[in-house]
Amino acid sequence: MKSIKYISIALMLIFTIGITSCDLPDNQNPKAATEVPVNTLFTNALISFANQVNSSSVNSNPSRLLAQYWQETTYFDEARYNFQDRGISDSYSSAFYKDVIMDLKEAASIISATDATGSLAIENANKLAVMEVMSVYSFQCLVDAFGNIPYSEALMGSENSSPSYDDAATIYADLLSRISSAISSMDDSYGSFGSADILFGGDVASWKKFAASVKLRLGIRLADVDASAAKSAVESAYSAGVFEAGEGALFYYNGVVPHVNTIYSHFSVSNRKDWLPANTIVDKMNELGDPRIGKYFTQYEGEYIGAIYGLNGAQSYNNFSNFTDRFMAATFEADLLSYPEVAFILAEAAQRGWSVGGTAEDYFNSAVKASIVYWECTEAEADAYLAANAYDAANWKESIGVQKWIALYNQGVEAWAEWRRLDYPILNPPEDMTYADIPVRMPYPYDEEELNPDGYAAAVSAMGGDDMSIKLFWDKN
Amino acid sequence: MKKIAIFLSILLFMGNLVSNAQTKTLTGTVTSAEDGSSIPGVSVSVKGTTLGTVTDIDGNYNLKAPGDASVLIFSFVGMATQEVSIDGRSSIDVQMENADITVDEVVVTALGIQREKKSLGFGATELGGDAVSEVKETNFVNSLSGKVAGVQIRQANTMGGSSNILIRGTTSLTGNNQALFVVDGVPIDNANTNTSNQTSGWGGYDYGNAAMDINPDDIESITVLKGAAASALYGSRAANGVVLVTTKKGKHKKGLGITINSQVQISKADKSTMPKHQKLYGGGYGPFYEDPTAYFFYADIDGDGVEDLITPTSEDASWGAAFDPNLMVIHWDALDPTSPKFGEKRPWVAPEHDYTYFFETGLKFSNNVSFEGAHDKGTFRLSYTNVDENGILPNSEIKKNTLSFAAVHNFTDKLSVDASITYVKTDAVGRYGTGYDEGNVMQSFGQWIETNVDFKRLKEDYISPDGRQRTWNYAYYDELVPIYFDNPYWVRYMNFQDDERNRFFGYAALNYKITDWLTFTGRTAIDYYTQIQNERVAVGSNGTSDFTKRTRTFNQRNTDVMLKFNKNINEFSINGIVGGNFYQSNIESTTGSTVGGLIVPGLYTISNSVSPVSVSESLQEKGMNSAYAQASVGYNNFVYLDVTGRYDVSSTLPDGNNAYFYPSVSGSLILSELGGMKDASWLNFGKFRMNYAEVGNDAPIYSTTSTYSQGTNWGDLALFSVNSTLQNPDLKPERTKSYEAGLEGRMFNDRFGFDISVYKSNSYDQIMPVLVSRSSGYTSRYVNSGEIQNKGIELSLDVTPVRTSDFSWDITLNWFKNKNEVISLYEGVSNLLLTSAWDVTINNTVGQPAGVIRGTDFVYTNGQPTVNENGYYMISDAEDEIIGNVNPDWNAGLINKFTYKNITLNVLLDMQQGGDIYSINTKYGQATGVYAETAGTNVLGNPMRDNVVSQSEGDMGAHFGGGVPLSDAASNSGGTILPGVKADGTPNDILINSGRWGRAFYYNNSPTARYVFDASYLKLREVSLAYTLPKAWFNNTPIQNLTLSAVGRNLWIISKNTEHFDPESGLSSGNKQGIESGAYPTARTFGFNVKIGF
Repeated sequence: MKSIKYISIALMLIFTIGITSCDLPDNQNPKAATEVPVNTLFTNALISFANQVNSSSVNSNPSRLLAQYWQETTYFDEARYNFQDRGISDSYSSAFYKDVIMDLKEAASIISATDATGSLAIENANKLAVMEVMSVYSFQCLVDAFGNIPYSEALMGSENSSPSYDDAATIYADLLSRISSAISSMDDSYGSFGSADILFGGDVASWKKFAASVKLRLGIRLADVDASAAKSAVESAYSAGVFEAGEGALFYYNGVVPHVNTIYSHFSVSNRKDWLPANTIVDKMNELGDPRIGKYFTQYEGEYIGAIYGLNGAQSYNNFSNFTDRFMAATFEADLLSYPEVAFILAEAAQRGWSVGGTAEDYFNSAVKASIVYWECTEAEADAYLAANAYDAANWKESIGVQKWIALYNQGVEAWAEWRRLDYPILNPPEDMTYADIPVRMPYPYDEEELNPDGYAAAVSAMGGDDMSIKLFWDKN
Repeated sequence: MKKIAIFLSILLFMGNLVSNAQTKTLTGTVTSAEDGSSIPGVSVSVKGTTLGTVTDIDGNYNLKAPGDASVLIFSFVGMATQEVSIDGRSSIDVQMENADITVDEVVVTALGIQREKKSLGFGATELGGDAVSEVKETNFVNSLSGKVAGVQIRQANTMGGSSNILIRGTTSLTGNNQALFVVDGVPIDNANTNTSNQTSGWGGYDYGNAAMDINPDDIESITVLKGAAASALYGSRAANGVVLVTTKKGKHKKGLGITINSQVQISKADKSTMPKHQKLYGGGYGPFYEDPTAYFFYADIDGDGVEDLITPTSEDASWGAAFDPNLMVIHWDALDPTSPKFGEKRPWVAPEHDYTYFFETGLKFSNNVSFEGAHDKGTFRLSYTNVDENGILPNSEIKKNTLSFAAVHNFTDKLSVDASITYVKTDAVGRYGTGYDEGNVMQSFGQWIETNVDFKRLKEDYISPDGRQRTWNYAYYDELVPIYFDNPYWVRYMNFQDDERNRFFGYAALNYKITDWLTFTGRTAIDYYTQIQNERVAVGSNGTSDFTKRTRTFNQRNTDVMLKFNKNINEFSINGIVGGNFYQSNIESTTGSTVGGLIVPGLYTISNSVSPVSVSESLQEKGMNSAYAQASVGYNNFVYLDVTGRYDVSSTLPDGNNAYFYPSVSGSLILSELGGMKDASWLNFGKFRMNYAEVGNDAPIYSTTSTYSQGTNWGDLALFSVNSTLQNPDLKPERTKSYEAGLEGRMFNDRFGFDISVYKSNSYDQIMPVLVSRSSGYTSRYVNSGEIQNKGIELSLDVTPVRTSDFSWDITLNWFKNKNEVISLYEGVSNLLLTSAWDVTINNTVGQPAGVIRGTDFVYTNGQPTVNENGYYMISDAEDEIIGNVNPDWNAGLINKFTYKNITLNVLLDMQQGGDIYSINTKYGQATGVYAETAGTNVLGNPMRDNVVSQSEGDMGAHFGGGVPLSDAASNSGGTILPGVKADGTPNDILINSGRWGRAFYYNNSPTARYVFDASYLKLREVSLAYTLPKAWFNNTPIQNLTLSAVGRNLWIISKNTEHFDPESGLSSGNKQGIESGAYPTARTFGFNVKIGF
């Protein structure tokens, strides 16, 4: 009987060991990367950046509604400024912090940790400067949306899950200083990200102009609140070399899903028709005889008709002007910042008496003409249009405000900011609302009160509230 | 068999040779109490010795016993062991009973250990297999609803969908709260592999929970171990309670041992669980279109030079023109120039066939045949089950084939092996789409539809002869592509999915009896399956055409090595176990899908992709090594004390923190053995029990190391991003501590019994991803934090009001209440978001039960919703008011069983009190003017959809804004008065417009609390009527028994507070409960069953 016992125990051990072993796996995910090439983080951040600036998603970027370029057909909640249902502030904030700036920060820390000498060191410095441009631009978008935001304590991961909020004006000052050092640290005789840079193909000179133009934008935004800082920023940006006619940061999609333009994505990929041109812009362009109207919109029964902005009712896609084919192309570019905007800023700077190498009127004409040509109208059309709608120095805010708004049609985020600052054009309050109900600020992400209670409370108290009616520090009228 | 008998005789003869002279010979016959047949192979032994024998082929035994022998022990697999006093007899006949009949004898507990129920210090409820096999559900878990106190089931109304099972409430803030399923001592995977989109309600198919592979026909009994003390030996995997399934083993049967069981069931959608549509107005959002009334498109379709009225097909709401049989309209199916119906005009009336026509009669056949037998050295059972089910939606079918084999073989008195293997093959076509997605036809039927659409016409005309889709929801009268919704028949016949799962699970064990009190067992078990899921969106659909294929291979191995002891020393009985478990699992999955659409229509391969394909892979490897021990000491069958301990080393925790120990202690006192009570004739049994237990738990896999996430390549550029979840290298184990006390009793000749339990459990240091401010660069991070508490009471009563020789009436009542509270979360965090569904969120909030619904609330005056001066509801300032709680106040089940001779009637009522559910269907179905309450007459007797008309100002138009007080309303005024009060507390009397999208029935003019409903229900859950034909009828046939039964499930919802859906509706199994989104109707099933034993 003893032998049976031993046989059975031996059998048992054999089949125990055969099927299960007592070595524990190491809990490292074999199907996910713990180290990646730095370029992959950069390219990803660049795409996320262009996507968010350009996006027309009702979930993450309502700026084309806020600027009253578009109206919604049947589901009009966002056009009537209900941003809560879809947590739009949350997505807007997340897209910049997490999808853009965090990846840039990660890439920068990998680059900074590498030992490089000689030309490699210079290329690395260029790479860091290139990424600074996108970071600064992104932070400006965040400040312009919310006001005070987490900045100096932001993006620290486990070290600080609930960063405090910094004062918006202080952040602006720091962004100006950061963009200035980025400009000065770029050496355009060396390369940067090469083919991973799908915006400028690694061309540092282009990035330098982009950086100076970003600085120009930061500077002009301060014009009404800190004229001397604004002047010095604009003048130094100008002398550093900003975009010239025909130039700009135009991000062309490769047209392969998911890397497609936002409008194509909505109408062709998602196969929906939730957008219509708003009467606000259609009426204005009709009124001014703008040649771009046929480039922006199609006709309905021989006319350009926009849907009533903010109507508390459905409007049929088939009964209004729609969008032209150019917008419907998968590869249609995202305009991040280009010459017409630069020229409008320079026009305003000249008007304010700052030294930017030209007159307000010249820059104004040059801006309008560049935009009209960009939209594939002729120079003759541009001249005729300018003749009919000449620059009015006495009402320069209206001249620049309205024309800049028309030119920024494909840049909702910037258009909404500049409408707030210049107070032109005159928008249409939605049905049953007043002009004061048109948002001049985005409410903080809805879960911030929960997730970062101290920081949120301090910020709300500093801002005077968390409403859409709280004006930002640079919005002075 | 003869040879075996001869062999046995020789053995017995040899036994005679070695026996000494001072012996007595005992003989007798062992028969079955069930049918009187003799049982061969029964072990007969003399208590206190190793002497023994087994019964022969005719159930006879002959045993030489020592002269002083006083007790014989009769034991046989599957039957209750009996001890019989010899009392000087030489002939002792014994009748043996099936073990599962007498619930107070032996129950299966953790690790498959059989224990005397009276010795248990914790709550365990046992059900016979017929509780799940008599009225079969495709997912047997559903059958537990109402039958066990403490077990809450929520079923999805999808064919083959998942069933959410909570035992004693939510114990994990964000992790798995589902019970562990154990078959024959071995844990079985119960994963829900649905996508997070599906479980969050954004769409996808519900593939069910993996425990549904357990075949109800093979279940002998089910034991539910509720508290941590009951399940502590299983370790962390059992922290949420255990459902122990014991499968049928071979038993001796009179006759051939073949049983055939056939059931046919039909199912019908229960109309009371379907959205009620209005029948007065047709499609549109309001007067926004082209004809002079602005309710229709307007163009000359039939070419007669006159413009025709055309349904506004581009709309998915029903705020259109009032039905009018004199209005001739071109409907959607008359717009395609290639259709013979082109240009056909039909009256503008409510359709003859509304959406309820879409639901078909489901049909399900279940056939089972089993072969079983027993012989002197063991038993076996082979069972084959085929289930073929067609659901209530077109083109839906599940086929399931289950083959299982179990055997026990005793090589010697000491050495035995037993093994069991089950193979399950599931093939499904056309599972139901779920959630807020066009793949779910209920999203349209419950929310977005034109009430003028005739469904018979949709069925007849969903595809054109050249393969284009025809739908009611064309983008425009001359743009014949869907704008929002596909034709639902296109969804079912063109965009269907299919899937297949092949699964093996089973175990093999060797038992060696070292001495009469010590047994060594080695057992190894596997659970292995592969599943393939194919999902399609056809070219021509509203969404981008697509093919997605998911494969998943699951492989789990458990090996236990155990030393069991069982010894009586004087008045003490000691039994216990010392053992070790080695657990490993590998889960590998790959998902491939087309991107940007399909190139070749109808070719469903991943490579048929417009853009480069998307492939994602995952491999999860986990292991755990454990040691455990349990000891139970009993004194004089009167007091029992149990102690257990388990030590786990898990791979998912960081080194240094990955080993943890947890103990439990439980005790019971048999009150009926107490001095004063012992002689009380009214008391049959009484017991008091108490326990304390701790359970540890490890971390979700790979939550200790951060990795990058990968995006879709840009050309040849790869894209990586910092993962949005920050992992934590410093995690430590979670811990649950629980207390429980219980009292049970049986009295008045077993005609009244009760079992009551109270418990409290707290779970600490929960490992969970908490949301963090996204300005930190992450959206969430893993932390060890938080505490959740469950307190509850469970009561079971059984009463036999009538018991005569022919008739008996048994009542069983289960009632339980669990009070759950989130005590703390993380640092300053007071809320943990589980999921968000449009404008509500499901949360764990400090100081609240797990799973509160938050959103905007009414503003209350004297407890009534308050309207503003315009007559619309005032909405709370805060967007995150607590407006509901998904947990019920209590649940109850009432079983009435009537037996008259051979006829048995079983009636189960299932009840839930309280709990809330947020209805996305109702939110949109009202806003779109589809639901019945959006049409009809107002207090003035006028159509509520007409404009509000004021005496002083005339027609106010359809505008949003100020309403008109009833006192100023013209006699012909339309409009609606919302139920509630004005700010001064007086009843609301303000008529507001309610005739189009964006007015009185619009969600953005309403707090989200308007769509939160009480989920209480009382259901007639199950009825079965069985008739066992008299044995005498089959005297000269091989038939041993024949039972016919008629069964029904979900027959009648006796009461509920939700107009348009079943309050039990859920999206899937998991923590995201309390949301109804596109819920399917509940299927009522009726069946007929024949069971024949040969």
